[in-house]
Amino acid sequence: MSGPAAIAVRGLRKVFRQATTGQTVVAIDHLDLDIAPREVVAIVGQTGCGKSTFFDLMIGLEHPSEGAIDIGGKTPYADFDYFRGRMATVFQQDRLLPWRSSYDNVRLPLELMRVPEDVQRQRSMHWLKRLGLENFTNAYPHELSGGMRQRVAIARAFVLQPEILLADEAFGHLDEVTAAELRETFLALARECGSTAILITHQLEEAISVGDRIVVFGKSARLLADIHVAKWDKSEYGMLREAIQATLQGNAPDVRFAHERRITR
Amino acid sequence: MSHDEARAAELSAGFPRQTLVSIAVFCVLWQALSYFAPALGIPAFAIPGFAKIWASLIKITPIDVLVTLARVIGALILSFVLGVALAMAMYRSTSLENYLHPMVRLFMAVPVVSWILFAVLWFRGVEFRIAFVLIAVCGPVFLVDALDAMRGVPKELRGMMRSFRPTPSQFFIKLMLPAILPSLITSWKINLSLAIRVVTIAELVGAVTGIGHQLAVAQELFSVADVFAWTLVLVALLFALEAVVARFERRVLRWRA
Repeated sequence: MSGPAAIAVRGLRKVFRQATTGQTVVAIDHLDLDIAPREVVAIVGQTGCGKSTFFDLMIGLEHPSEGAIDIGGKTPYADFDYFRGRMATVFQQDRLLPWRSSYDNVRLPLELMRVPEDVQRQRSMHWLKRLGLENFTNAYPHELSGGMRQRVAIARAFVLQPEILLADEAFGHLDEVTAAELRETFLALARECGSTAILITHQLEEAISVGDRIVVFGKSARLLADIHVAKWDKSEYGMLREAIQATLQGNAPDVRFAHERRITR
Repeated sequence: MSHDEARAAELSAGFPRQTLVSIAVFCVLWQALSYFAPALGIPAFAIPGFAKIWASLIKITPIDVLVTLARVIGALILSFVLGVALAMAMYRSTSLENYLHPMVRLFMAVPVVSWILFAVLWFRGVEFRIAFVLIAVCGPVFLVDALDAMRGVPKELRGMMRSFRPTPSQFFIKLMLPAILPSLITSWKINLSLAIRVVTIAELVGAVTGIGHQLAVAQELFSVADVFAWTLVLVALLFALEAVVARFERRVLRWRA
């Protein structure tokens, strides 16, 4: 792996037409965002702020109405196949295939890439072990707990050793202890793999504990704050949380982010 | 169709004791009726005793059973392939679906007898006629069930699969087909009983082999015992085929346990 490329989001806009009312909805309105290679970024925002639409555009499931997401000169939608094996997503629900065992779920992305079977086996078993699932390789999803299923989903993402890792509220539905544990594992593995990681979350604690950066989305994915967590002392985390909260509630950057490289339009 | 589905589910659950009792009661009543028939003014041939039926049963020609079985299996495999292939095409193309869906509904509303008459009037070959009727009746069932099942595959799973960027054929083979397999198996159960019933009617017209033909011969000979024996064979055949499907189902759907 040559290493991940920088992600440059330029003038990204996504407009939907509602099927029932025929009204147009601006889900993302001219978003500009740069993410450095190997950076871990948490995106926070209220429900309906365009986080999930941004993710669909990142994955390449949707095409932008205007603007572009540029990753090393390629775009996820137009160059869909280029990103096969380079990008992996952990979703909110585990989204495991119920008819496949843990092992078969983990090796799915490698199968799609037509990786030789022995390599599939070796890499899948390696990641199942790393996530503590070596005794559950033949278990079907319905035989596993929610936390274990999410571990399988994480192993399925890491088995690709992707350049870009996306996590869409991947730990939000788990109990706090399991979520914290899995989040730590996820971050440690992401750093070990040298992947660029983007995590969507609605939990501020999670965002603060996760990221090198926290990006706060307002309505229509308007960039309200771009916080470099390292600039904040641990003792200030309480204040940081309050400031993010105030930003989200007011749909405008909080004054406490004045020293951050803040973007408002 | 829900009646058939319920029946298929019932059959796969095995034979409870009540079933055996009800069959035994029916047999006793039948035997008694055959014994008292002359006294009741019913012609003796109308309700033959089990001795006569047994005599007819041991005269059953296996070749006719095999021919009917081959026709059913062959036509069902063809219907399945055509139905699922068309369902896939319709799933991928909304405009194709908009054009084909009314036609499929129309096909499904045509009575079996009309299909048989069309087959007799349009085609010469007996085998072709039978295959045509069976495919016309069973194909749309596979198609509609497969299409419904494909539409029912959760959006979340489709999104997950697409995020790993499969080729279109991988998308169908790795996601859609396994996801719709339970529905396809149910369609097989429904279509098996449908095909067994339809094939005999189709064989009544022009065929010189097969269970339907033998039933026609029995009718010409006024042999109720022969009709009874061949009907028993048909029912046994259906149960055997359903048992094979149920076994396959248990094997491939063990992940649902």
